[in-house]
Amino acid sequence: MTFSFTMSPSDLLLLLPEIVLTFWLCLILIVDFSFPRLPNEQLAYFSIAGLVATLGCLVWFDVAGITGTLFANMFALDRMALFFKMFIVGSTILVILASVDYIHRFKFFRGEYYFLVVMSALGMMFMASANDLLSVFVTLEFSTLGFYVLVAYLREDMGSNEAGIKFFILGIFAAALLAYGISLVYGETGKLVFSDMKTAQASPGLAIGFLLIFAALGFKIGSVPFHSWIPDTYHGSPTPVTAFLSIAPKGAAFAILLRMFLVSLATFRPIWTLLLVAASILSMTYGNIVAIAQKNMKRLLAYSGIAQVGNVLIGLATGTKMGSDAMLFYLVAYLFANLGAFAIVIAVSEAIGSEEIDDYSGLGRRSPFLAFSMLIFLLSLAGVPPLAGFIGKLYIFVAAIKEGLYVLIAVGLINIVISMYYYLIVVKKMYISEPHDRSPLKVSGPIKVVVYVCLAGTLAIGIYPQPVTDWVVSAIMMFSDVADPTAALPAPPAVIPFGG
Amino acid sequence: MGDLTLLFILFAPFAGAIALIFVSNRQTMLVRGIAAGSAFVSLLASLYLFYAYDPVKGGFQFVQRFEWSRQLGISLHLGVDGIGTPLVLASSILLFAGIFVSWHIKDRTKEFYIWLLILAAATIGVFMSLDLFFLFFFYEMSVIPMYLLLGMWGSHTKTYNEMTDPEGLKLRDSVGFIFNFGSNSKEYAAMKLVLFLSAFAVAALMGILLIYKYSGLNTFDILVLREQAKLMNIPVLGTTLDKIIWILIFFGFASIAPLWPLHSWSPVGHAAAPAATSMLHAGVLMKLGHFSIIRVAFEILPETTRELMPIAAVLCMFSIVYGGFVAFYAKDTKYVIGYSSSSHMGYVFLGMAALDYISLTGAVMYMFAHAMATGMLFAMAGWVYDQTHTRDIPSLGGLSNRMPFISGCFVVGCMASIGVPGTVNFIAEVMIIVGSWNKYPLQVIVAVVGIVLTLAYLFKMMRGLFYGPMDQKYSHAHDAVSLPDRLPLLIMISVSIGFFFFPMHLYDVVRSGVDPLIAKITRVVPVASHDREPSAVKHEARAASPQDLAALPGDSPLTPYVSRSDQ
Repeated sequence: MTFSFTMSPSDLLLLLPEIVLTFWLCLILIVDFSFPRLPNEQLAYFSIAGLVATLGCLVWFDVAGITGTLFANMFALDRMALFFKMFIVGSTILVILASVDYIHRFKFFRGEYYFLVVMSALGMMFMASANDLLSVFVTLEFSTLGFYVLVAYLREDMGSNEAGIKFFILGIFAAALLAYGISLVYGETGKLVFSDMKTAQASPGLAIGFLLIFAALGFKIGSVPFHSWIPDTYHGSPTPVTAFLSIAPKGAAFAILLRMFLVSLATFRPIWTLLLVAASILSMTYGNIVAIAQKNMKRLLAYSGIAQVGNVLIGLATGTKMGSDAMLFYLVAYLFANLGAFAIVIAVSEAIGSEEIDDYSGLGRRSPFLAFSMLIFLLSLAGVPPLAGFIGKLYIFVAAIKEGLYVLIAVGLINIVISMYYYLIVVKKMYISEPHDRSPLKVSGPIKVVVYVCLAGTLAIGIYPQPVTDWVVSAIMMFSDVADPTAALPAPPAVIPFGG
Repeated sequence: MGDLTLLFILFAPFAGAIALIFVSNRQTMLVRGIAAGSAFVSLLASLYLFYAYDPVKGGFQFVQRFEWSRQLGISLHLGVDGIGTPLVLASSILLFAGIFVSWHIKDRTKEFYIWLLILAAATIGVFMSLDLFFLFFFYEMSVIPMYLLLGMWGSHTKTYNEMTDPEGLKLRDSVGFIFNFGSNSKEYAAMKLVLFLSAFAVAALMGILLIYKYSGLNTFDILVLREQAKLMNIPVLGTTLDKIIWILIFFGFASIAPLWPLHSWSPVGHAAAPAATSMLHAGVLMKLGHFSIIRVAFEILPETTRELMPIAAVLCMFSIVYGGFVAFYAKDTKYVIGYSSSSHMGYVFLGMAALDYISLTGAVMYMFAHAMATGMLFAMAGWVYDQTHTRDIPSLGGLSNRMPFISGCFVVGCMASIGVPGTVNFIAEVMIIVGSWNKYPLQVIVAVVGIVLTLAYLFKMMRGLFYGPMDQKYSHAHDAVSLPDRLPLLIMISVSIGFFFFPMHLYDVVRSGVDPLIAKITRVVPVASHDREPSAVKHEARAASPQDLAALPGDSPLTPYVSRSDQ
């Protein structure tokens, strides 16, 4: 196999967002070293400026419809990649805004924090475009590298160190599985690019290879049975990092999963549907049931995250275009609700220094704004109308029922009720329990911005989802390899005259 | 207003709730004013709706349709027929009255009104949805405000562990004990209500999704589905698909109604809720169940309804008798009214189960009438609780000296609840009984026994609260004197009595909604000339219209139908 690396300027254009961000990454380091007295907020806003510029590029690409592939199909820039890149960059901006006040807890290397966050974002942007197994491995490790450091950033905190070690050991293990899986698949097919593997014949080596790759990606998204690192890591990490970890890598890994299952393995759909159905049922049920017992807000959100991933996997299990649309939609809804919830966890822990659910007692009296926002985010996670999470769940269920996954939907519906219980326990603490201490809470400006953005997203998508629906539909529409003729919608039947 | 009436009714409370967010809690009068104002807009619009609804034309009127999601086939499709119209009116009356009933709430007034307005608006939304998705959307939306209203402003008397079971037994609810639903009765009630209703709501959602899939029409629109969905005779799991869907829909929605074995969340919820919430809860929230069954199961699966509706006829007997007896032995004012409500909802199920023109019309009118009657009773129970801080009937008594106005109204409320001539409840009850007699004589006898029971427990409660010797510690209790305190009761009483004397428009409106439905289900059309009503001309015009006939399956011979009240 030969690679030709002749690149024209127009090819470089496809890499423009990544190039912008790489430059900015270097700038962040330079600025940090050159101006050691620069206040941390300035550096945060400086990083955000770079991310906004990248987001601008991505939006321009999306609007202008610029797509293409590079490096012998290793790097694909299609509408889906653009969607996930916007998803990742958007969540990074919100995470950096939410960390502005948290930074003072780090004793050292405050400037490098932003560098690492942006670097992980860059890695995940490449992940969203990874179109062959080698680039999957490289980009996945690239993005995880930053996280290994970020998770253990609270150096003097035992929990953070423990989280770092757990994440690192299991992450390395997952990487080894991934490498082994890739070698098996390559050995069986002789191909690395996803779209070239469509014609692969079934063989035990191929099956084991893809199972190992799925395990590695399952580690990234945190679905049962690859979830064991999640609670401790989420609990121990600095909260903004937890927020970042709970959103962005999942998005990037789902991009790879979509390519892998819907492109390479399209012919084996009946088999992998079973695998995904099992993973989804286990994730939802395990995550929700264990979440009931949690006393710590971050752990609760960790387990709820496991359950939410189970919901997203329903969309993947359908294996249709509509299912993929629904996944993307759900991820957007999840982004706003989850980041918003974590922003409030940060705000509360800044104000009262605790993340225990019990200390949320009487939040409704101490800070009506935080309590109301938390209520909205939790209800969106639970799937209550008129919030984004409800539409996302319904979208996924509709996609799944079209494929006849009745058991999966029944389990998903029952899980909504279970999740309602533990989310309402938090609501009960916030609104019904009396506060231990009645002093009002102060919320800083950047956190407020994050909360407002997430509130607006959660409510707007819930009340009028059409723009986001159009966006996710077009994101998958351009994903040329998922040509599923059955997914084309028939024209809605004409409305019959009223009366009678 | 014209065509936009429904939007006014639906969005005025939402707009009020949003406006309230920007008002400070200290400006109490402004908060109340905004809440009352938005409820008043909604009330005016629904009065207009009620009187502008044309029963001769029938069908769905004031229809609004906005594309909402192309991919999912959802549109915000609003419209009311003869069944929805009175219920919309009842909701907005109770919302308006409820705002005055909760005039004296001091703790977080603003938040209270926000959630109350959202609750009412969501309820109203269900009554006017012509899209399965939005029906469910508004239905689910009404549950969470209930949780907060109960939890934050509810009342509780005992700690959870020593909570006396409403049925008089001292026991811990095993489920609640394991999961610690809350430390006292109101937290327990709130959590139980939400989980119970959500659990059954998702069953209904499963039914809705199955309809969506098997109709293959990519739409949630009820009007399209009822004409074009072919869900019959699809074998699945040893039975047919339509039966499974019907069971899911029926029990999913019957839980909020509440039908007998699914009722246990309801009285606890009533007891814990603040007065205005109990009013809305018993007055209209419970009717969401019947309404959704009519709208979804009756409209989309008429044949299955004919086949399976006897289930409701059996269960409604238990509802009536069980609720009645528990209410008789309950010692808590709100438990009495709560169980009486779930007992009375059995009448509605009886009227629905008989699938008869008269009985279903009676059932819908009864929903309207019961909303007023139970609204009054809860408002007054709330007043008594506010004054005495107890709901324990044996410890109360002789309050009529202290509160003559309330005790006078209470008599009217009891009369209305019993269905004494002079209130619209009487008309509705008689119609249910007369309409169901041919088909379900046993149930009718049970229903009459239920009326006697109602009389017994309401009079017992009335005596316990207002007559006999009075404990001196209640000597500070005072009557409803000011206009805001009296207004809600006066409104509900005048509606209840007014529609007894002028029931024709209500009857015509409801009948215009019931006729096509029953014609479709039973395949018999009423013979217009046999209708005794003075407005027979109108019916003749309608019965002869081709629309009615076109709605029927073409191949079946139409059996002439003679109004049973004539025999």
